[in-house]
Amino acid sequence: MPITVNLDVMMAKRKISAGDLAERIDITPANLSILKNNKAKAVRFSTLEAICRELDCQPGDILEFTKEE
Amino acid sequence: MNINWTKERSLMLSRALTWAVLILACALLFLIPIITIWYDNVSEKPPIMPILTAAFYLCDIIAIIALWQLKNLLANISKQELFTDCNTRCVRIISWCCFGVAAVMAALSFWRLLALLVAFIAAFVGLILRVVKNMLAAAAEMREENDFTI
Repeated sequence: MPITVNLDVMMAKRKISAGDLAERIDITPANLSILKNNKAKAVRFSTLEAICRELDCQPGDILEFTKEE
Repeated sequence: MNINWTKERSLMLSRALTWAVLILACALLFLIPIITIWYDNVSEKPPIMPILTAAFYLCDIIAIIALWQLKNLLANISKQELFTDCNTRCVRIISWCCFGVAAVMAALSFWRLLALLVAFIAAFVGLILRVVKNMLAAAAEMREENDFTI
């Protein structure tokens, strides 16, 4: 996938654990793990909004586009 | 008599029937020589016992493969695993089994014209199953996308 989720980087910067973040944005730890491990097919705006709110960042800080060769 | 007909009971009936037909198809493997002799005797056309035996054996083996896949499919349904790649594969194999029977019967129709009708029916069922398989594959893809939308 050319879109990479850099959630773990942002979480490390903000010093927040996966369990904590999952609870704060109201998703299951299993779903957060899917998102963190780049297994997700899509992200809802509501989820993205909650992540940005809790991590105090922009969507661009979490999502990255890389050109495929 | 009021029978409380539930989804589970319906599924149980389907599974029981599939097992019954599967056992029947396996038993038929031993009865094919007798059936072939009987059919050749009642038929007014010239006897073609080796061809008939080969055709019946092939069809029976294909039917056993299809029934086994059907059994797997029903087992998955009872586990609430509906739109999965495994189920799509099962339906695809069953569809190909129908086309296989159609091919065998089409070949047999050179000697027995009535087999052409069976070939047509088998091909028709195979075609319907192929469309169902396409639909199931699309549903599995949609389910996966839905499951992985966070």
